[in-house]
Amino acid sequence: MDRQLLHIFRNTPMGRETLLQSIYLCKKVGASPVIYVPKSTKFLMYFENDVVQIDLDSSYVTAPDTAITHATELVERGELNVTFLEPKHYTASTLPDIPTTFDYMCCPRSVSDLTSKIGLGYIGPRVRRIVRSARFPVFITSPVFKAWKSLAVFFGGSANAVNALRLGFHISRVSGMPLDVFTQVENRSPESYRQVVEDENLGEEMDRYVNDWHFFENKVFEENLYDVPHDALVVMGAFGHGVIRNFVFGSKMEKIQSTVSNNLLIAGPNYTATR
Amino acid sequence: MRVLKLWRYPANWAIFRLDDRLLLIFMAIIVGNCSGLASVILNRSLLAMSEWLHHFRSHWWVFVLPAIGAALSSLFLEKVVKEGAGHGVPEVIYSVSRYGGLLRFRSSFSRLISSCLTIGSGGSAGPEAPVVISGAAIGSNIAKYFSLNDRQRVTLVGCGAAGAISSIFNAPIAGMVFAIEVIVGEWKSVNIVPIAIAAVAGTEISRILQGNQIPFSHLLFKIDLLNVFACIGLAVLSAAAAILLTRMLRSMHTISHKLSGPLWLRAAIGGCAVGIIGLFLPVVLGEGYHAVEALIEGRYSQGLVFVALASFAKIAATALTLGWGGSGGIFAPCLVIGSLVGVTYHHFLSLLWPSALWANEGYYALLGMAGLISGMLQAPLTGIFLIIEITGGYEVILPLILVSAVTTTLCHYIEPASYYLKDLVEHGHLLRPGTDARVLTDLNVPELIERDCIIVKHNMLLRDFIQIVQKSHRNYFPVEDDKTGNFLGIIHLDDIRPYLFNPGMHDAVFLGQIMDTQVEVVHPGDDLSEVLRKMDIKGLFSMPVVMNNRFVGLISKATILDQYRKELMVQTSH
Repeated sequence: MDRQLLHIFRNTPMGRETLLQSIYLCKKVGASPVIYVPKSTKFLMYFENDVVQIDLDSSYVTAPDTAITHATELVERGELNVTFLEPKHYTASTLPDIPTTFDYMCCPRSVSDLTSKIGLGYIGPRVRRIVRSARFPVFITSPVFKAWKSLAVFFGGSANAVNALRLGFHISRVSGMPLDVFTQVENRSPESYRQVVEDENLGEEMDRYVNDWHFFENKVFEENLYDVPHDALVVMGAFGHGVIRNFVFGSKMEKIQSTVSNNLLIAGPNYTATR
Repeated sequence: MRVLKLWRYPANWAIFRLDDRLLLIFMAIIVGNCSGLASVILNRSLLAMSEWLHHFRSHWWVFVLPAIGAALSSLFLEKVVKEGAGHGVPEVIYSVSRYGGLLRFRSSFSRLISSCLTIGSGGSAGPEAPVVISGAAIGSNIAKYFSLNDRQRVTLVGCGAAGAISSIFNAPIAGMVFAIEVIVGEWKSVNIVPIAIAAVAGTEISRILQGNQIPFSHLLFKIDLLNVFACIGLAVLSAAAAILLTRMLRSMHTISHKLSGPLWLRAAIGGCAVGIIGLFLPVVLGEGYHAVEALIEGRYSQGLVFVALASFAKIAATALTLGWGGSGGIFAPCLVIGSLVGVTYHHFLSLLWPSALWANEGYYALLGMAGLISGMLQAPLTGIFLIIEITGGYEVILPLILVSAVTTTLCHYIEPASYYLKDLVEHGHLLRPGTDARVLTDLNVPELIERDCIIVKHNMLLRDFIQIVQKSHRNYFPVEDDKTGNFLGIIHLDDIRPYLFNPGMHDAVFLGQIMDTQVEVVHPGDDLSEVLRKMDIKGLFSMPVVMNNRFVGLISKATILDQYRKELMVQTSH
């Protein structure tokens, strides 16, 4: 269990739900949670080619006296070892640097806006920056804890989607959960998607882990999403295309995150495929 | 689309594939122009604000202006841009040392606005540190946009700083030297050439938009041997002033942090105190370049006591402004304090030996400025070149060198780290390229873990273990609990030696009985310097890496030194 998941703890009922989601993911993928209890509402994350300042909303520093106890209780109840992150380096006295060498990071849909604003269709700018820059996949949780029973990987044939598929295989292997692949067919035949998988030398794993590969022929992507199991962890790539292409054709990730309420595991463009 | 992708990765352009130094030179031109422009904008904004507030200077309540400016500046930094950092230069050096020069985009404009509010309203601070962080952040973000690597990014951060200083002082050599001496800390041609180009670009932008003028008028001084020797005393006085300013800045910072009020209120208190001092001694207000000009030209007609008092007042005002939360830099205050100290010294000499042929007081003002800059920054070359360029006075080069060298030495003796570097040194964050600390920081425990270890169980018989040893090339064997998988200890070959030649013991001894349980362990998140320190203290050559009570691998001194050498070669190869 040398994999680690970074969790920024919020000592509120909503934060409890998020931590429960993290604990569940950790148990399934064999990771240990590393919990950061923020003492101030700002911290920095230095990635390989970007520095992201996270301005947390004030609920993250609620009741600091009980935060450690609450987090410890939840993690121990989940039969995991709890590790609290103490920042070693500070860019300024009130600006700690949080390491970025984790295997997963858990984020609610937004970390810097009040919870009243958080809902489907909204992922905060900071969470987006983390997804864009991180080498690890970002676990974006649904508002209420819900145990997921299967995996749903969205595969559109891009390099990012291939990474997401690899991530899905990895989680399926370590968790033993069934995996379904979903593909929206767009001006290509299903065969061409299969060819991408073959070209990436993933055919064997596809046979081993994937239950079913769903090809959506209906052009309205949002309508197809009803087929995604409500209790599946959705794994997908994001920000693989440039701004212009996303502006013109739209982003699949945006459509998925604004339609389904499942937990999401997003591999960004800098995600390095699982060991 | 391909064209756009190619645009984002200039390192792939055919012309730059020939030599990546060309790429850095090309980028340096862009960065130098942008940072130069940022300096001009701040300069113009300060002038505009000063003119706008001039009408209010005659009112009795004028002392609250610096308080309002400092409070607004603090509110802007804290609530609007949420900077959460200090006045800038240490942050740039920290980022260069630890994170390959990564700086936030917001830093490219935040300090420009906040310092404009602080200085324009009368706070005792300078615009140089804000333009340095602004230029550095511009360089960093341009490097980020074009996906340049760490080394190239650090060079562009230096280019930004050089362009900014060059532009604001119309002093390209000072900008270049400051960037290399203070920011980058590495005198190598791979840095020097782009930084020099950026300094030229920054200066040119300033000259195009503001005209080619030296900030202070050029005067000729009659300098004989007596006046050269006399500057030794001035160096001592400058060092004392630099130390006093450094300590007052820190103590004010400490005092202000003991107050429980909001940051903007603390800044306002500091600003108000400066405003009150300014009622009696207007020389302390703002950046103070007019006062410097008057001092150099000998138009500052006050006597010894008044000038000495003004020196102390300016030191106090600067400490109150910056220590209590105002935004700005220490360059300009150093120039004012230095020139006041120089004139004080001149008056003192004239009082003691009125018949001696002392040089003009402007000469001592120049030397005082160089002394203060060199002492505060502990960067003698920056002090020397800055004063030469902003006054055009090359004939004072010899005493300038003397004052800068002596002041730097004295300050270094009393305060081993400069004002910019003190916090960084105290926290172990000053990591110049090619140094031991930097090499160790660039390596981490996870990348050095040796995972090809044979893990044995605590209830294994010695006989079984000997068979494993025969097939293994390792000397250390981690022991874990059979049921929980928790790490229990380690067995070294020496631990089994007493039983090895006694076959009777082979079936009687379990590994749990002979393993070393008092073993020092390493966590994957530990600093490598700390790991090496533990190894040195205990005389260890290998240590187990343990996380969540599970054995992850071994880390050995041999592997560390092997990687250390490779990393050192990378850092010093250019």
